[in-house]
Amino acid sequence: MRARVPKIAGTLAVAFLLAFPFVYQRADYDYVMHLWITAFFYAILASSWALLAGYAGQFSFGHMAFMAIGGYVAGLFSNYLYFTSAPTKTCLEFAVGGRYLVILDPIGVSAVPRTCLDIARESWPPDVVVSQPSLWWGILLGVLVGGLFGFLTGALVLRLRGAYLALFTLGFSEILRATISAEIPITRGQAGLELAPLFPHGISLLGATYGPQDKVPPYFVMLLLLLLCVAIMMALERSRFGLFIRSLREDEDAASALGVDTVRYKVLVFVVTSMMAAAAGAVQAHYIGIITPNILIIMQMALVVAMAVIGGLESIVGAAVGAILLEFLLEFLRNDFVVAGVVINMSVWRLVLFGALLMLTLRFARNGLVHPVLLWFSRAGVARETVEQQRADEGGTEPAP
Amino acid sequence: MIELAVNGVHKYFGGLHVLKGVSFAVRGAELIGLIGPNGAGKTTLTNILDGAIKPTSGTVYLNERRIDQLPPYRVAQAGLGRTFQVTRSFRRMTVLENLYVPALAMNPGARQRAFESRALEVLDFLTMRHLRNEFARALSGGQQKLLELGRLLMLDPGVIILDEPFAGVHPRLMEIIYRYIARVNEEGKAIILISHQMESIFTLCRRLLVLHYGDLIADGAPDEVKRDPAVIEAYLGEDEEAES
Repeated sequence: MRARVPKIAGTLAVAFLLAFPFVYQRADYDYVMHLWITAFFYAILASSWALLAGYAGQFSFGHMAFMAIGGYVAGLFSNYLYFTSAPTKTCLEFAVGGRYLVILDPIGVSAVPRTCLDIARESWPPDVVVSQPSLWWGILLGVLVGGLFGFLTGALVLRLRGAYLALFTLGFSEILRATISAEIPITRGQAGLELAPLFPHGISLLGATYGPQDKVPPYFVMLLLLLLCVAIMMALERSRFGLFIRSLREDEDAASALGVDTVRYKVLVFVVTSMMAAAAGAVQAHYIGIITPNILIIMQMALVVAMAVIGGLESIVGAAVGAILLEFLLEFLRNDFVVAGVVINMSVWRLVLFGALLMLTLRFARNGLVHPVLLWFSRAGVARETVEQQRADEGGTEPAP
Repeated sequence: MIELAVNGVHKYFGGLHVLKGVSFAVRGAELIGLIGPNGAGKTTLTNILDGAIKPTSGTVYLNERRIDQLPPYRVAQAGLGRTFQVTRSFRRMTVLENLYVPALAMNPGARQRAFESRALEVLDFLTMRHLRNEFARALSGGQQKLLELGRLLMLDPGVIILDEPFAGVHPRLMEIIYRYIARVNEEGKAIILISHQMESIFTLCRRLLVLHYGDLIADGAPDEVKRDPAVIEAYLGEDEEAES
C-alpha cells in the first residue's frame, strides 16, 4: 500500500490542478492564476534540468538559453512572418501555394515602425489579404530549433565533464544573451520582442468563452505542457534510455565498457531536455506577451537549479514539485513581517532566506526535500525483503511473499 | 573459436614509451595471467584492448575484426568485456539495474523484464540474490567486485579481462571469484587475469604474460615463466630464484 501512495497523491494533485481555476473564486484570482502558470513554467524547466543534470549527470548551465531560444524563435516567428495574397516586391518573400510567405525587414526599436509590408500595403488594392501563420507553428519551430541547439551543444560537450561542462554551457548562455542584446534591429535588444497572446481571438472552453487576456487558457496550456513533459520524462526514465543515462552519470567509462553508446545518449538527453525548455520558453513568451534578454541572466538559471536541488535532483516529480513550492514560497515571502516592532522588509530579505534554504538543503538533504519522501514510499519493503531473502538463503526456506 | 590478436602495439604518453611493441594472441578458452610490476603497462594495455585509449601504432583484432580504433561500447559489443582495477559499480542504481545495463546494451529493442530471470540466476551464482533491490552503494567492496563480475556475465563477451579481481576481497568472496573464473572459462570464454596475487595467478592460469616497463618479456606456461631468467631479474626477484 505504501508504495502506491505517490501514485494516488499524484492523481489527486492533477485532479486538484485541473479543477482549481473553476473552484477558486477569491478577488486575487488573476494573481494566483499567474503564480500557477509561472510555477508550471519553472516546473518544466526544473524537471527537465533534473533529467539532464540529476539523471544524466550533465551539469549544464545553459538550460535557460534553450528556453530563450524557444521564446525568441516564437517571437521572431510572430513578428516577422506573414502570408499575403499579393507580392510585396519590397520584402523578402516566397511563393507558397498561391500565397506569399513574407519575411519582414528588421523591425528595430523605432516608436512607429514602418515595415516593408506597410510600404507594400500603401500601394495595394483593399482586397489583398494579409494574415499571419498560427502562432502554434512558431512554438513548434521554437521547440525544434531548441532541440537543434541542444544537439549541437550535446555534441560539442561530449568530452567535457563537471566544472568544464558547466562553464562551457554558461558561456553559451552568456553569448546568446549578448547576441540578443546586441542585435537590436532584429531582436529589439533590451526593449524586448512583443508577442501575441496564446489565443489572440479568445477561446471557448467547457461552455465558457475566454478573452485573449484571460488566465484560464494559458493556465491549461502550461499545465498540459508540464504534464506532457513529466509523462514523457517518466516514460524515458523507466526505459533503457533512463537506465543508460543514469549509468553514464555514475561512470561513463564503465557504461561504455558495458556496451552503452554513451555519446548517443548524452546527445539525446541534451536534445530532449532542450526541446522541453524551448517549449516552456515559447509558451511563456506568448503568455507574458514579451521576451527580453533578461530571462537569460544567471540569476534565472540559478533559480531553476535551486528549484531542482531543493525538490530533488534525482527525481523528475521532485524537481517539478520543488519548483512549484518555491515559486509560491518566494511570493509568500514578499510579505513584510513585524518582529518585536521591527518591520522586516522581505523584498530584500526573501532572497537571503531562499539562499539559506538552498544551503541548508545542500548540507543536510542532498537528495532534496521532496525526493526522499517519494523514495521512502517507492522503496517500501526493500530492506525487509533483503533481510528475509538473506535468511531464506542461509536457512534454505522461501522468503515470505 | 575466440581469437584475440595483439600485434606490435606501441603507446606513447608524451615522451613516455609505455608499451613497446607488445604482441601476443589468445586462441580459444585460454586462461591467461598478465603480470608485471607497477608501471609495467598492464592497465594501458587493458585500456587499449577495450578501446578506452588508442594505440600509437600496432593493431588489435578480435575474431578477425580490427577493434583498436573502435570506441569501448563497440568493443564490448564485439565481444570483449573487462572489469576495472578500482571497482566501478553504478552506485546510485540498484543491483538489478546494474545487471540490466549490459543486457539491454547488447540487445537493442529488448525489454528489461526479459532479463530478470537471467539476472536472478547470476545473482544466485554470486550469492547476492537478497541484495537485488539494494543500491550498489550499500554493498561492501567485495560485493561490488562480485557485481562487476555479474555485469560481465550479463554482457556475455567471448574475452574477459579481469583487472585485480582479488584485491581487498574477503577469502569467502574470493572463493566465489575462483568459481566464477572456472565457470566462465568452462563456458568457452577466454580470460586475461591481471593480479598481483601470485598464488592465485599460478593456481588458476595455464599461461602467463609478463610485462616489464612496456616490454613483453615472457609468454609461456607458469613453470617456464618462473624459471625465465629475464622474469626473475625483472619481476620475481632473487628470493623466487633461490626458491626455485
